[in-house]
Amino acid sequence: MHTTYTDLTAISQEIWAAVLGIELRPATPGQVHAEEVRVVTGTVQITGDWSGATTVQVSEELACRLAATMFMMAIEDVTDEEVTDTVGELANMTGGNVKSTLEGSCQLSLPAVTSGRDFRVTVPGSGVKERLAFDADGELVVVTLFERQSAG
Amino acid sequence: MKILVVDDSKAMRAIVKRALSGLDRVAGATIVEAADGKEALGVVQAESPDLVLSDWNMPEMTGIEFLQALNEAGLTPVFGFVTSESTPEMHELAKTHGARFLVSKPFTPASLDEALAKAL
Repeated sequence: MHTTYTDLTAISQEIWAAVLGIELRPATPGQVHAEEVRVVTGTVQITGDWSGATTVQVSEELACRLAATMFMMAIEDVTDEEVTDTVGELANMTGGNVKSTLEGSCQLSLPAVTSGRDFRVTVPGSGVKERLAFDADGELVVVTLFERQSAG
Repeated sequence: MKILVVDDSKAMRAIVKRALSGLDRVAGATIVEAADGKEALGVVQAESPDLVLSDWNMPEMTGIEFLQALNEAGLTPVFGFVTSESTPEMHELAKTHGARFLVSKPFTPASLDEALAKAL
């Protein structure tokens, strides 16, 4: 497994800048969303010679703003479908770029998106390899790389 | 010119369409869309696009399966991948089946234009 803290930071910053025109600035390490905040989580899993997952987590409020930017529409017109699509695609691009740094043969899952308040994301059999916190125009973005423990 | 954009993400289709709309190389092109390879195969048969820009990882039928299906049907639009995954093996597989380029997401309009310059 050769994806490093630096790789994941660069991958995340490049995606957000290119797709959304937003600069991701490193925030306090280990920072997570407060329990009262509704969070939207996009997840993709990687299986094969290396197994794990990547998640991208943003507040529901930020997710709506991101969807409005992606679809060039007014924020009040954004629907759940567009929010799900946007966060799912951010997770997909993050996972896809992580996969591109891996050696061997791996497959990328389709993205899954969940939202709610005060929940924890776990990937069975996996532990957190990297968890990055970013500031996106004053809003918290958390990007996590899980690695399956049995992976070599 | 007619261009087919294939991606299961509506957001990504919007981004690709927006990038294409700013490129002189494809100015005035009609853009049609599909959400997976299976739907795209039907669109190619019905609309005969000149250029196909396809994601790789999609439900129902993946991008590479879609390209194989086009080849088997004798349909040969200019075909390029726009995908978040970009390994040497995927480049090789894409090239073997006749794809003209593979653009990695996230892309810039300039990188898309550069790929199209070589293919069109």
